Amino acid sequence: MDFSSNIATQLNAGAILPEGIVVVTILLVLICDLIVGKSSARWLPYVAIAGLLASVAALWLKWDATESLAFLQGFNGDDLSIAFRGIVALSATVTILMSVRYVEQSGTSLAEFIAILLAATLGGMFLSGANDLVMIFVALETLSISSYLLTGYTKRDPRSNEAALKYLLIGAASSAIFLYGVSLLYGLSGGQTNLDAIATALANGDGGESLGLAIALVFAIAGISFKISAVPFHQWTPDVYEGSPTPVVAFLSVGSKAAGFALAIRLLVTAFGAVSEEWHFIFTALAILSMILGNVVALAQTSMKRMLAYSSIGQAGFVMIGFIAGTDAGYSSMIFYLLIYLFMNLGAFTCVILFSLQTGTDQISDYSGLYQKDPLLTLALSICLLSLGGIPPFAGFFGKIYLFWSGWQAGLYGLVLLGLVTSVVSIYYYIRVVKMMVVKEPQEMSETVENYPEVRWSLPGMRPLQVGIVVSLVATTLAGILSNPLFTFANNSVINSPVLQSAKLTQPIAKAGISETSDRPIVQ
Amino acid sequence: MNLAEGVQIVSFGILAALMIAAALGVVLFEKIVYSAFLLGGVFISISGLYILLNADFVAAAQILIYVGAVNVLILFAIMLVNKEEVFKPISGRWIRKAATALVCVGLFALLSTMVLATPWNLAAPITAPESTLILIGKHFFSDYLLPFELASVLLLMAMIGAIIIARRDFIPDIEAASSDQPLQTVWRLPERPRELTPTQGSSNQRK
Amino acid sequence: MQLQLEYFLLLAAALFCIGIYGLITSRNAVRVLMSIELLLNAVNLNLMGFSNFLDPDTIRGQVFTVFVITVAAAEAAVGLAIILAIYRNRETIDMEQFNLLKW
Repeated sequence: MDFSSNIATQLNAGAILPEGIVVVTILLVLICDLIVGKSSARWLPYVAIAGLLASVAALWLKWDATESLAFLQGFNGDDLSIAFRGIVALSATVTILMSVRYVEQSGTSLAEFIAILLAATLGGMFLSGANDLVMIFVALETLSISSYLLTGYTKRDPRSNEAALKYLLIGAASSAIFLYGVSLLYGLSGGQTNLDAIATALANGDGGESLGLAIALVFAIAGISFKISAVPFHQWTPDVYEGSPTPVVAFLSVGSKAAGFALAIRLLVTAFGAVSEEWHFIFTALAILSMILGNVVALAQTSMKRMLAYSSIGQAGFVMIGFIAGTDAGYSSMIFYLLIYLFMNLGAFTCVILFSLQTGTDQISDYSGLYQKDPLLTLALSICLLSLGGIPPFAGFFGKIYLFWSGWQAGLYGLVLLGLVTSVVSIYYYIRVVKMMVVKEPQEMSETVENYPEVRWSLPGMRPLQVGIVVSLVATTLAGILSNPLFTFANNSVINSPVLQSAKLTQPIAKAGISETSDRPIVQ
Repeated sequence: MNLAEGVQIVSFGILAALMIAAALGVVLFEKIVYSAFLLGGVFISISGLYILLNADFVAAAQILIYVGAVNVLILFAIMLVNKEEVFKPISGRWIRKAATALVCVGLFALLSTMVLATPWNLAAPITAPESTLILIGKHFFSDYLLPFELASVLLLMAMIGAIIIARRDFIPDIEAASSDQPLQTVWRLPERPRELTPTQGSSNQRK
Repeated sequence: MQLQLEYFLLLAAALFCIGIYGLITSRNAVRVLMSIELLLNAVNLNLMGFSNFLDPDTIRGQVFTVFVITVAAAEAAVGLAIILAIYRNRETIDMEQFNLLKW
């Protein structure tokens, strides 16, 4: 039949090989758990990790593929998407490392947890490359629904239930609003769902500046901001972060956020290219609010998880600077920062998990004097927090410098100055925790730390946790000093992506000459 | 105006009125069971509107999935949480309702201005395709193949997750007692709730 | 006089606003979920209207609607599962009572 043979040649299904590997891993995990039973929990996490690493390797093979569009332009596997898909997959890998012991200790079943986490990863990966409104919607919902399930996974805990309910209701409402905007986009473009076709239709039509497009834009941004938890769409973040299992929080704060940024880049730059000044303005407002509110409210927090929640809002604000800059350097600084943020934030969460597994609390005041009892944990947590605060010579410093530099180059002076001020504020609350752990005299040790049990690494599930801590510690320390490969990677992924290159020509903000200076900005 | 158009206009009017009335009932009725049944009314009238829009397959899917699955599921949930619950009255609640209503009317005004002001570029002759089923099927296996396959993963995970969360499972007492953790930590977060932490002060309750 | 696209869009806008009202004012968690279904139906009506009047040859909007219906069903199932779980622990589904997590 000619229909099927026509289609088969155009599918280019190899572009989604990495996602295919993840799907196979999901099925493997579910079926093995079904056949082998409870004892499979010993080795299933490693199967999942192997699958995710294989998927990252497959992404590596797809780098610079000649034919990036697949599934009749429904999916775009260009280098930009590869960078974001890699970030999502890596964050899931580290999350699994830290979740083994946590899930076991909370008594829930591990296999389903991993399967749902993998499904969320799959949604995030597809979202990063989606090039079609329908694909965007289905991938977004796969990510969201899996996240709701993960949030409510410790179902005997009223806090977890409450977090899941709030997340579900706010999330479903925001995705419905997003969808309304998308439906307007479908109508305005005269019946197109492909992002490129929409962009062409909108550019040709006379309704470029119409009220309809403005409403579609606002509604779409509302949905995206919910995913990246930008103020004022952040209300769910602290509650959900406090009530969910900590590994889930770690994934939400890195993987899900990275996917949200990928969606923002692709949807806004491509489909809303005609109104780029408007969305730059809206995102500037969001970035200002996020940086101020996230970092200032984090000062007042007493719970570690809540503090990290607000700090992640502030960090999203910093990343938005690169997005608003809209230059090559801006986008690649986003990717660079997200890569570094992945390791430092996940490292911090791994340490918080270890501490709460040992002591059963996550109050900041309970950390005082931890240095005497557990030097490794103190070291790792301190370095991750200092890196998040942007203290040299850790990776976070270079990431922030690059973001601010690209923003400065693009002429966003006010935004960059505000970023500098708020990151000074953020240093204060990160240092507070470090000071509490390190400097306290032995007699000022908190009651919890005094009863701190010896860490038993031999317990099942503790090894992966240890590996997670060490890996993120090493990555956070070394990525700062040896950041050149990461930097070239981020830069290439932007330069090799035709989406951003063609968009740049039409953008008023992009200034000539930026791309020539895309050398290493930081002199060491 | 010929007969067919007249019938279309009249049935559109009836369906639209039914739908709006039922939707208002869903959000305004005190009794949740009435709301649930009226929600079914909304779904059915929307399916009628789809038929007016030449979409036979989607109209059938709307009835099957929304009325047959979602609405029945909601009714089951209402029965499972079947407790006559009188919500404690909160003072000043009507102010919030009035403010919300005002905002919604404003939103409607904005959206309708947008609908009327935008020049939609209509396709000149609206000819209903002879079979929507074939067209939709072709879409599913060509340009929407990837979302179609991804939806299967989504449905699988939603099913597994919903079963896990809604299942009333017994806690294996022996296992929990033999391990070193106390019984009540099973299925819970390892972190203590804030009320129990010794250092909890009034400082973390802002205002 | 014929059926116009605008009629359907206005109807969808009205349904959307009713859904928003229910979303914000409802105290019963199940009713909030129903309001979300109303929102999604408003979107569907929009898509179907566009599909018939702007895109009658390829009817992409109808395909989109089928996806939205699928996802809405999954979302409803997950939402009701979570409501059941919270009801077992808290014996209430009043949104105003869910305040364990507050800053």
